[in-house]
Amino acid sequence: MSTSGLVKCVVWDLDNTLLRGTYLEALPDRPPADPALASLLAELGRRGIVHAIASRNPPEAAEYAAQATGCAFVAAECGWGRKSEALARIAAGLDIAVDALAFVDDDPYERAEVGAALPGVRVLSPEDAAEAVGWPEFSPAEVTEEGRRRAGLYQQRQRRQRAEQAFTGSREEFLRACQTQITIAAASPADVPRLRELSERTSQFNSAGQALSAASIQALIGVPAQDVMTVRLTDSYADDGLVGGCVIDRRHERVWTVPLLMMSCRAIGRGVIDSLLTWLAGRAAQRGAAAVQVPCPVTERSVPLRLALAAAGYRACPDQAAGHGRLVFRCDLGAPLPALPDWVTVPGEA
Amino acid sequence: MMRPGQAATAAIADELRQVLATATGRPELAATTLDTPLFGDGVALDSLTGTLLLRQVRQRFGVDVAAEDLNLDALATLGTLATFVCDRVVSDRVVSDRAVNRGA
Repeated sequence: MSTSGLVKCVVWDLDNTLLRGTYLEALPDRPPADPALASLLAELGRRGIVHAIASRNPPEAAEYAAQATGCAFVAAECGWGRKSEALARIAAGLDIAVDALAFVDDDPYERAEVGAALPGVRVLSPEDAAEAVGWPEFSPAEVTEEGRRRAGLYQQRQRRQRAEQAFTGSREEFLRACQTQITIAAASPADVPRLRELSERTSQFNSAGQALSAASIQALIGVPAQDVMTVRLTDSYADDGLVGGCVIDRRHERVWTVPLLMMSCRAIGRGVIDSLLTWLAGRAAQRGAAAVQVPCPVTERSVPLRLALAAAGYRACPDQAAGHGRLVFRCDLGAPLPALPDWVTVPGEA
Repeated sequence: MMRPGQAATAAIADELRQVLATATGRPELAATTLDTPLFGDGVALDSLTGTLLLRQVRQRFGVDVAAEDLNLDALATLGTLATFVCDRVVSDRVVSDRAVNRGA
């Protein structure tokens, strides 16, 4: 689940749900979209929630539904297998937790099957869905520019993934070929809404394991011996905007602590978290620190973050519990530090 | 002569080479040597490729490396990972063989 329990993606059935009728039985005229649900798709889209399809129909039904509803679906699973398996594939493809999905289907059997197999999914009838628009899990506190563009960003991500599969060369060569640019900079007050949204939406890559309020992020900006950093990501496919960040506590000069390290799962595999950790170690060493420590949850969800920490040379300190089920991971800065890749820029630093 | 454990480790290492090549999209990793580091200059595992590798290890061998190895030291080299997996697969097999023998 996302840190807050927000729904990130709604998976829709088509026949007698998004469509008024059955796609295959309504030849030659295809069934029209349900107008109330089509406007619900648009409203949730404005809130940064993306949509996908799980339908017992041929793949062209998804294209038809996109046209009929005017919605840019980020994934479509059309086939005759179990819908719970379709939902699991959709979540894996988007790199989000299954628990961040909602599922809408008119068929009580399908709802029961998904509900039993994936208990974390919000399972709704079309009637429930019309009301759900007012529920907190569909109501992010604030919608950022990244949120409004999210469906498009997922589609560009899929184009990038297809290109990467066809690319013969290393990941680094691919990142270079698509002109990846990572920018690490101190946060300004204008970044607060997006940082808050990231702290709420991230789960795999959130070392704090809990969301921060806008006020608490704002309160850290400009405070002596503390830094709030942002990471922006762009390449030839898309400008993903602000995809990551961290809070650095330098009050203990020799051992810096990072109470929050986070990244949008959309940015996985593009060098963001690795660049941030490399920059952090370099900066800490330059300013005379001997170690950097990051409290991090030790759960199945946090494995990608632990991999990034392990790759950057962090070790767990099993005797140092850090609250919220976290352990302290520590990186000693004695060894020679790796250089930042040349696609990472840090304005204001040579 | 190769001990039975060594033969099993070698077989697991072979399978891991294929997984590495697929997870990273780098066919040359099918020739990774046992002492090649998996992080940093060797294979350069990151969050994504590391997650794909660990997922495959769990699916193929039933070994959850991240759950048992806090620091992911098993990922130091291809050889350490193969040994880590082999130790668990072989001990599971011994336990299940004994159970079968008792039942017989």
